[in-house]
Amino acid sequence: MSEKVHERALQLIAQARVEGMPESESAWLRTHLETCDFCTEHALQTDRALRALRTASIPLPDGLASRTQFRVRLRAQELREREPQRRALWLACGLSWIFGIVSAPYVWRLFAWFGERTGVPKLVWELGFGLWWTIPAVFFLIVVLMEKLRQSDEPSRIRQSR
Amino acid sequence: MGDEAKSIARGLQKRDPELLDRLIEQYQYRLFRYLMYITGNKERAEDFFQETWIRVLERGHQYDGKSKFEAWLFAIARHLVIDWQRTKKAQSLDTLTDPEQDHPLQLANEKEPSPLHQVLAQESEETVQASLGKIPAIYREVLVLRFQEELQIEEMAGVLSVPLSTVKSRLYRGLEALRGAMQGGVAS
Repeated sequence: MSEKVHERALQLIAQARVEGMPESESAWLRTHLETCDFCTEHALQTDRALRALRTASIPLPDGLASRTQFRVRLRAQELREREPQRRALWLACGLSWIFGIVSAPYVWRLFAWFGERTGVPKLVWELGFGLWWTIPAVFFLIVVLMEKLRQSDEPSRIRQSR
Repeated sequence: MGDEAKSIARGLQKRDPELLDRLIEQYQYRLFRYLMYITGNKERAEDFFQETWIRVLERGHQYDGKSKFEAWLFAIARHLVIDWQRTKKAQSLDTLTDPEQDHPLQLANEKEPSPLHQVLAQESEETVQASLGKIPAIYREVLVLRFQEELQIEEMAGVLSVPLSTVKSRLYRGLEALRGAMQGGVAS
């Protein structure tokens, strides 16, 4: 029997266990295994290994579930307490945005008046108006970044010393 | 699976404490076993176990119930482990997940008996079981997901965030490593 035949058989043995194989291949493999001790032994070893993996047990630490449930409840309580603050923050964000839009024409006039009174070039007070407009956006960005930072902080809670 | 997953998704949206208690009980063994296999360390697995459930509470609204809950759960656990490794070792995600690299997803020293190896050896005197601890974590992980958790290859690709071909190649190599380890050969 050629090397290639064994190679194909070994490949099919693995394939059958990993992702399954078509019936035609399965029939070929069965016929081959009937006559090849080496490949039969390989298939048996693979099955033994998988059986051992499936039956391998790992002891659970005592009280792991109850300790975790306790921590999760504490965290849930923390989140619930923080919820009104977060809501207020988002509300403030939204309101500042609405206020910005509604007051824009008046602020524009105010900047124009101030520019005329002080003799500041038009481009400068227009830039000033543009910057004033970015304030709610900057505030919003800060809130989002703070949220992201808080969320990405979790892995650092895991004991770093280990 | 559909109704169960949908009802879990609804409960997680509401951060239902009863549901979380039930899920922790229900999945405690499977999640802990998975974490043991990928971290190779009991204390660390315990830490990650708790952090995973905290993350489930915080990010529960992201679970849509379209996939198996356990696949989503394992993906969260895995990301936590990788994030931790990344901050600890300042390695890139690719280095941690690519089996061709020197130390893929491997916290324990391969040359010494790992804590996992010791735990398995304590649990049973059979050398077949202890030999599982000798397999590199990256292969143990796929073997556990496929043959213990019985996830589909597509689901595994989701958990591991890698292409199907990578999952398959890790499974083939892992299977060979497992067979080799059982024979007392070199598992690599």
